[in-house]
Amino acid sequence: MTIQSCVACGGHLNALQREGIVRKRARSLSSSAATYPVVYRLLQKLQVCAGCLEALPFIGEQICRQCGRDMCGEVICRDGLCRDCVDRASVPLSNNRSLLQYDEKGKSLVSLFKYRGDERLASFFSALLTIAIYRYHHTPSRFTCITTVPLHPTRLRERGFNQVELLAKALGHAIGVPVKTLLERTKATEKLSKQGGRVHREESMRDAFAWAQGAVLADLSSACSGGIARAKVKGGANSPVMSGTPLRVLLIDDIYTTGSTLRSCASTLRAHLGTVCEIYSLTIYR
Amino acid sequence: MREFLLYIKSGTEAVSSVQTYVTPSFSVDQSFWQERESCILHVIGKTSSLALAFSLREQINECIRKRLPERQKLTDGVVAELRHLAVGKVREASVLYGREMTDRERDDNQASWSSAFACMRQPPKDWFAWKVVEFRCEVHACQKDAESAGGYKIFSRHSLLRRTSLTADGASASVLGKLLDGRALLWEEIETLLCKRGVEVGDLAAVLHEGVLAGKVQWLPGVRMGVVSNWRRKRLVLFCERCGSEDRALQLIYCHSCEQGCAYCTICLGMGRSKCCTPYMLIASSASADIGREKGMGQPARLEWTGRYSQDQARAAERARRFVAGSHPGRSEFLIWAVCGAGKTELLFPSVAEALSSGGRVLIATPRKDVVLELAPRIRRVFPEARVIAVHGASAEKWEESDITIATTHQVMRYHRRFLLVVLDEADAFPYHNNPVLYRALARAAHETGKLLYLSATPPLYLQKRLVSNDRSKSASSAALPLASATHVLLPGRYHGKPLPVPEILTIKGLHKRVRTNRAVPQMTNAVKRSLDAERQVFVFVPRIDDVDVVLAYLQKAMPDRSEQMAGVHASDPLREEKVLAFRNSRYTLMVTTTILERGVTIPKSDVLVVGAEAPVFDEASLVQIAGRVGRSFDDTAGSVLFLQAERAAATKLAVRQISRMNQLAKKLAEAGGDNA
Ligand SMILES: [Zn+2]
Ligand SMILES: [Zn+2]
Ligand SMILES: [Zn+2]
Ligand SMILES: [Zn+2]
Repeated sequence: MTIQSCVACGGHLNALQREGIVRKRARSLSSSAATYPVVYRLLQKLQVCAGCLEALPFIGEQICRQCGRDMCGEVICRDGLCRDCVDRASVPLSNNRSLLQYDEKGKSLVSLFKYRGDERLASFFSALLTIAIYRYHHTPSRFTCITTVPLHPTRLRERGFNQVELLAKALGHAIGVPVKTLLERTKATEKLSKQGGRVHREESMRDAFAWAQGAVLADLSSACSGGIARAKVKGGANSPVMSGTPLRVLLIDDIYTTGSTLRSCASTLRAHLGTVCEIYSLTIYR
Repeated sequence: MREFLLYIKSGTEAVSSVQTYVTPSFSVDQSFWQERESCILHVIGKTSSLALAFSLREQINECIRKRLPERQKLTDGVVAELRHLAVGKVREASVLYGREMTDRERDDNQASWSSAFACMRQPPKDWFAWKVVEFRCEVHACQKDAESAGGYKIFSRHSLLRRTSLTADGASASVLGKLLDGRALLWEEIETLLCKRGVEVGDLAAVLHEGVLAGKVQWLPGVRMGVVSNWRRKRLVLFCERCGSEDRALQLIYCHSCEQGCAYCTICLGMGRSKCCTPYMLIASSASADIGREKGMGQPARLEWTGRYSQDQARAAERARRFVAGSHPGRSEFLIWAVCGAGKTELLFPSVAEALSSGGRVLIATPRKDVVLELAPRIRRVFPEARVIAVHGASAEKWEESDITIATTHQVMRYHRRFLLVVLDEADAFPYHNNPVLYRALARAAHETGKLLYLSATPPLYLQKRLVSNDRSKSASSAALPLASATHVLLPGRYHGKPLPVPEILTIKGLHKRVRTNRAVPQMTNAVKRSLDAERQVFVFVPRIDDVDVVLAYLQKAMPDRSEQMAGVHASDPLREEKVLAFRNSRYTLMVTTTILERGVTIPKSDVLVVGAEAPVFDEASLVQIAGRVGRSFDDTAGSVLFLQAERAAATKLAVRQISRMNQLAKKLAEAGGDNA
């Protein structure tokens, strides 16, 4: 795979063939005229050929208000929630949004990136995440910080890289929001494939995360816009109370499967930051 | 985190033996030297980047050579200087690494397809981490209670610990030896292999490093790092020790395994990440395939084949066998040049039997997985007492011991000096064609005394030049091709004795435009109709993926009654396998395809049409292969091949010339044979 070929099929990147599709996609993905140019440019630079760009399974207009699931052909319960979300009591996660449906092509690309460790795919995936944030959050700069689902140190050493961290950094760079390490993994949960069932998964995820030692949410200078006081939080200390605009934390992950990981992270964040803090999550696939 | 320690060993008396070593397990080195010689070990420092450690070793050794010319002792002062030198070199490497990173980012940003990568790098103060260790110990040979300078009691206890663990590991070490014999693996692959086999090794680093010190195991960083300087500036160079790729093929990364600047190889990535911090272990085969072979397991070389050779085949097979049996030094390569349909697999049998009977292992490497799967049962049938395994990415028997290994080309990288005979099937096919990565792997898979046998219908020029001795005074095209030499044999005729179908070339102005706009191309439609009416199947080759649908639609429109029996296929078609199978089963009678079907798939009673034969993707070899699809079976030895081109092209002409030339040679040979009889 050279830098000039499609990451999905290895085919030739023909700018002329792509142009029409880029425009069409940019129009449907940009929520307002203001975001059109940036979405257009991101799509134009996306390293996929015309055919693969056209075939990308973007999540449609109608989604579950809570988890971002494509509601085309699904039963919509009250308040625009899907049947999973409607049964759930209060969730610390304000909402989740994802860009693409997790199809076979997506699976093979993710495994190239995540398991085979082809870090060159990071720029492709981070561009997708950036498109996602412009699609669902019109002014991304309103986030106080970006953070990620942490990897257990042992796993991290084994693998040598943290794919989600790479994405978060690129996203943060693109939208000018700092990336912070706020969480750490307390137990090395078994691999996803080994976890049986939804309930079991939710169970095993509970208390899987803790506030990272010495983590700082935001320093004075970058969080002062609304007259927010110091937002320094020490491990175990009670949450500081802030006035003015709420803190908004954006949690990043590659795939939203059942959401249990993200919800668990969100509860840990909530427990330390208190209710003044809004937590959103964003993933590429769902 | 794995750490690698750098130390200098100097003799207590003579100074000639000053050498620098890298070790993952210092205690192993201590007891190793203790058993051999009295010496002083000066530890310099440690790092978790093996590439850095190796690079420093080289630089320190070079410095020692310069600093200690004759009979000068390695004083503590010099050692201190060398420690200082190491620190300086690490700092230099950090700077060069950072500079390389910046250079690449600048170039990347110029390319239109990548996004800002700069932000993804962890920009540490220094890219490389090096910890100076000031430690010196004297090793006294063969002393029962080892006492070292400075009263390091830990040391003696260490060696005691080593002893006990050695006996515990003794048994597993021999299992390990068997498992790793003749393999080249990344450290992680060894761990996975041991885990799969349920072999528990207490201290893998220690056991492997003992092998290194004893000279039985070679170890290298997965990615090597070095510094070259030209008159202007110094530059960091990277090299993948596994596949031989260099420079930009290696991706620079901040690595969480070694927690510093690192690089991985993008070329052999499919086989796991070869990195700066990953040891790559090469274990040359100590013996032949007798390993793991129990007494009474039979004769692997026993050939059970009832087929018969034509006179030509017999001649070629015998030539190849003699090459394998021969012991001429330097004669390690041989080419079997056999036209499409000459029956090349059968030609191998005597050579394989020869290698097996002299106690060696055999590797047959082929570019494609489907060929591996097709070949394995055939070979198993004719060598009933040999252990035959099929090795490809997903195969379960990958790690089994075997007499004959049939592997995809990538897997060849996992072997080291293991095989007495390495056969490369379809030497001209992707991904071998002109590919130094795989030639390197092949050469390395062969035992030091091993032989390489290439098999091809259209050998690339560099192979021809090397192995087919030609009369140099004449140009290659006019010179008569020699039928055999010490390094090759040519088989110009098919096994059934009938000539190869010679393609017909037609130039049609505006061919592609006509097809796209659905204007009549009678030469094309008539040819297809003729074949289909005669109940023959048709391969329609097109140059590009985009052409598949266009040409298919054109033909379906021209022959609506047959459109149900037509299909198109290309490399990334998700239904590729199903479609090819349906074509084999005659569910489809016409298949529009890119060059992916140029070899491998053989269908009796079929004809070939190439639409756009002037395209560069169809070179001479490719066109000869395509024409070679036709007329291969006993009951259908003829067939038609039509090259349609939009303009005159050299390759179509050359292909026709090559085919005609082979037919002439075959005819001459047949006449000569007839005279002899
Ligand atoms: Zn593509
Ligand atoms: Zn929902
Ligand atoms: Zn490599
Ligand atoms: Zn590393």
